[in-house]
Amino acid sequence: MIDTTRHERKRIADELREPAENARALARTLGLDPVDVTYWIVTHEEMNELIAYDGFQDRYPHWRWGMKYDRQEKKSRHGLGKAFEIVINDAPAHAYLQESNSTADQKAVITHVEAHADFFANNRWYALFREDVDAAATLANHARRIESYMSDPEIGREAVEEWIDHVLAIEDTIDQHSAFEAVAGREDDADDAAEESPVENLDLTPEVEGELFDEAWLERYREGEDDPEPGTDVLAFLRRHGMAYDEAEGRAVEMDAWQRDVLDMLRAEAYYFAPQKMTKVLNEGWASYWESVMMGEEAFAGADEFVEYADHQAKVLGSGGLNPYKLGKELWEHVENRTNRREVAEKLLAVEGMAPATFHDRVDFDAVEERLAPTPPLGAITGGTLPDLRDLPPAKVDGEALQAALEGEIDAERYPWKVLTYEGMAERHFSLAKRRNQGYLARIGTDELGEIDRYLFDGAKYGTVEAALADVEYTAGWDRMREVRESHNDVTFIDQFLTAEFVREREYFTYEYSHAGEEFRVASTDPDDVKRKLLLQFTNFGKPTVVAADANYRNRNELLLAHQYNGIALDLPQARQVLERAFELWGRPVNLKTIVKELDEREREVARRRGEEPEPEEQGLLVRYDGEAFETEELDWEEVEDIAATDVDYRTRPEDWL
Amino acid sequence: MGLKDDLERFREVGEERRQDLAEFISHGDLAPSGQDRVRVPIKIVDLPAFEYDRLDRGGVGQGDADVGDPVDARPQSGDGEDGDPGEEGGDHGYYEMDPEEFARELDERLGLDLEPKGKRVIEEVEGEFTEMARAGPRSALDVEHFFREGLKRKLATDFDEEYVREALRVAGWGPDRVFEWARGEAIPVSKGWIEDAAEGIDDPDRWATIEEMEAGVDHEPTARRVRREGLRRLPFRREDERYRHPEVIEREEKNVVVVNIRDVSGSMRERKRELVERTFTPLDWYLQGKYDNAAFVYIAHDAEAWEVDRTEFFGIRSGGGTKISSAYELAAELLEEYPYSEWNRYVFAAGDSENSTNDTAERVIPLMEEIPANLHAYIETRPEGSGVNATHAEELEAHFGDADDVAVARVAGANDVIDAISTVLHTEETEEATPA
Repeated sequence: MIDTTRHERKRIADELREPAENARALARTLGLDPVDVTYWIVTHEEMNELIAYDGFQDRYPHWRWGMKYDRQEKKSRHGLGKAFEIVINDAPAHAYLQESNSTADQKAVITHVEAHADFFANNRWYALFREDVDAAATLANHARRIESYMSDPEIGREAVEEWIDHVLAIEDTIDQHSAFEAVAGREDDADDAAEESPVENLDLTPEVEGELFDEAWLERYREGEDDPEPGTDVLAFLRRHGMAYDEAEGRAVEMDAWQRDVLDMLRAEAYYFAPQKMTKVLNEGWASYWESVMMGEEAFAGADEFVEYADHQAKVLGSGGLNPYKLGKELWEHVENRTNRREVAEKLLAVEGMAPATFHDRVDFDAVEERLAPTPPLGAITGGTLPDLRDLPPAKVDGEALQAALEGEIDAERYPWKVLTYEGMAERHFSLAKRRNQGYLARIGTDELGEIDRYLFDGAKYGTVEAALADVEYTAGWDRMREVRESHNDVTFIDQFLTAEFVREREYFTYEYSHAGEEFRVASTDPDDVKRKLLLQFTNFGKPTVVAADANYRNRNELLLAHQYNGIALDLPQARQVLERAFELWGRPVNLKTIVKELDEREREVARRRGEEPEPEEQGLLVRYDGEAFETEELDWEEVEDIAATDVDYRTRPEDWL
Repeated sequence: MGLKDDLERFREVGEERRQDLAEFISHGDLAPSGQDRVRVPIKIVDLPAFEYDRLDRGGVGQGDADVGDPVDARPQSGDGEDGDPGEEGGDHGYYEMDPEEFARELDERLGLDLEPKGKRVIEEVEGEFTEMARAGPRSALDVEHFFREGLKRKLATDFDEEYVREALRVAGWGPDRVFEWARGEAIPVSKGWIEDAAEGIDDPDRWATIEEMEAGVDHEPTARRVRREGLRRLPFRREDERYRHPEVIEREEKNVVVVNIRDVSGSMRERKRELVERTFTPLDWYLQGKYDNAAFVYIAHDAEAWEVDRTEFFGIRSGGGTKISSAYELAAELLEEYPYSEWNRYVFAAGDSENSTNDTAERVIPLMEEIPANLHAYIETRPEGSGVNATHAEELEAHFGDADDVAVARVAGANDVIDAISTVLHTEETEEATPA
């Protein structure tokens, strides 16, 4: 029997070898520095499986993978969410190409993958957990261990599955800003903390800094201690101080070795995947951006393949809801444009006699934009114009490659980038010269001009505008982008680069629920509000921050979890379910301190009749679970002051809505 | 172990964790379900986690909108599990069933044994589609006939206009001459058309002779034009429509008409409204599942009654007082279309037992006795407990006692819903039936 799939796969693999090599070379020429990637051709079925397993082939047994697979399979059956690729953070990285993809799709995927590979290799948040880790092997190892527990007659599958369920509910309560440290039992350990402070090098607003790193943490950081106190890593806390609950005996007992082991493994996995979750917008935007440059502008796909590619892009970028790919890509373009604009403005302001006040009058922006367009031979390289490249400054052209091209060894018409250097490419793709960015330069505000002017070293460096423009560094945008991709995560990225200009240009708005109208309504178009609302989606994985506050609450060895309230209430029914699981990991009663918003039915009526939005009352609440039943207790404000919202408030409801 | 195992396990989990029916009715989210599609959430559709309250968190959207505009909020895909854009996190696992299955499950759950009665003799379509009629449903349209007629018509009346105009450009040829020629060529153009075209024709001496014209101009036959222009330009006419009719066979059908009556007066606030919805919706599903053909009539009333559709029924609220008899009067009227001889009838009313003075005894009760039905029911939704003026339910109970065609149930909170449904459905069974 002939295994036709293997034949197919081999054929596809052979076909794609050259495109993959070219993509790598092109990525390098564009200034990227990807980690090595191994490409695999897989069937549609295998692709769904991989996605179900988060990109790996071997995970511990659990119905959650079945659920993911089920969802994925339904989506792809309806032609939605077609899986194009999956790349994982490992070295070398692995990328999976679906057998049935068209060649255009495959090429798009490959360029996308190369950009991802650059991101993984350079973003610091991945480095937190990357030291000598062979992820696939580690996860497979976890799978084996868990399987062995399940087949152990003294433990059994159900017990293990239940235990896993409990841990997964708390999965996201790790301290994702710290390096992963193994929890070493009940002794205090003094492992080395992460080397560089993530706080430096980031241009954070005090709000966000406060969000990410609370005072106590920052203090300890500066003192070089690690974190032994109760805190944000609830899983670690439970591991260290928690117990299991023995139904039969009706009391807390020490966790079994296998239980501790499973907890450790799952916590490690949570840390492994955390960077991915924290940098989704950044990462996907990055990959979309470079894919677009490579596929669109460098015509990586042949002319005939291009139409299909446009369709692919539309599908990916056009999806509903908050689309991280789109947001990310737009933000990256924004970073690029702003940086380039600043670069040009800096040069222009250094022209003798140029001042912020007269800038807009003196500068002929159309002419400037024209002048910034790539020098003709760079812009369109054909067989005929090839020799002209010799006249360009050597920094922009790869001399050797050009020579080879002239001798016919390289097809420069098909792959123009092969004869250029990074600088040449940067000029070729300079964002401000593109038609879609027309007018961007002119829109620079006088405030920004003033700021630049203030720090200008030599205000009369150039005699003419022409001279100034000749000195523009075309690589400014891309250089800056690479810096940013190294140091940022989604939260810091959005915080720093989501400017008022960006929000207004793209017509972002916030929406909130109106109790009076019983529907969601547009609440604000103010850029600050939009930014805060967006940050809410990304800070702490878009989840509320709950910390382990006390291991001996009310002196009864009860666990106290505290919700750090920031103006948005918890989903209480779900929180209760989590408490049920937390109980199983603590062995004794567990408590959750939070703040809820209460809305009196009558008040709502009255407000509605008045055409107003009712104002809910904030009330401190303690929810306690003792293994059998829930108890809720209202708390006085003094008792919840420590968790109440302070500087950052994510509410954006306007005063007068209706 | 492996994905197959995990998948199977997921299915098992889904089934066992499908929210218990009673819990679903009492507390579940009824919104994703529709009139004829019951979606019961799988209890642990995803692993629980500390999340923000969905309503409270709001979100970010994009577009040209003004503050205050309503927004169709979709779940935001900010969380990090999947790499897919636009992964909406919606479509949480549901166990979907049709009303029939729901009815079976509820039977089991409540220990019911309702046998729907066959009533109306109706014409059942079962035979071959042989008869032809001038009217009918789109699906029965005889497309070939329709198309052929259109094509015939086109061929009969269509002609190449340019070609005829060119004939007018033959030197010395006037409309009469052209008309003669056209007849000869079997071109179906009218004289009037030619005369109109002749007026103001440019270049009237383009051709010296007709032979020259015929040699120089391409005559496009109709068939070619049809092919070129496409079928949309064919003159289809209503009179060409023919619908195939199936042979008619008679059969007795089990019908039911369910009249849902709801007090929408000022006192019926959100909580009561929700309780009514929780009680009526499963009853509707149940009956729809049991019967072949179910019709629904929705009546809202305060001091007056008016008919509404399903979507309005649960939503509206007025500010007025209450006069329950108005609803029964309207019901009696509307039920004339559904004679008891042909239709099983269920008349369900809900409110908070408040009514105008004496209205219950003097008008409602007589009306209920006058309207024949399989079952009348009144559901009292009063979270606040009994009240001085709220005696409707009490009076009904006093009057109808243990009648097997009148049910009275009380719902003070979500936990009473399933019992109320049970009471109502059990009443019709036997006289000794006791509520679950």
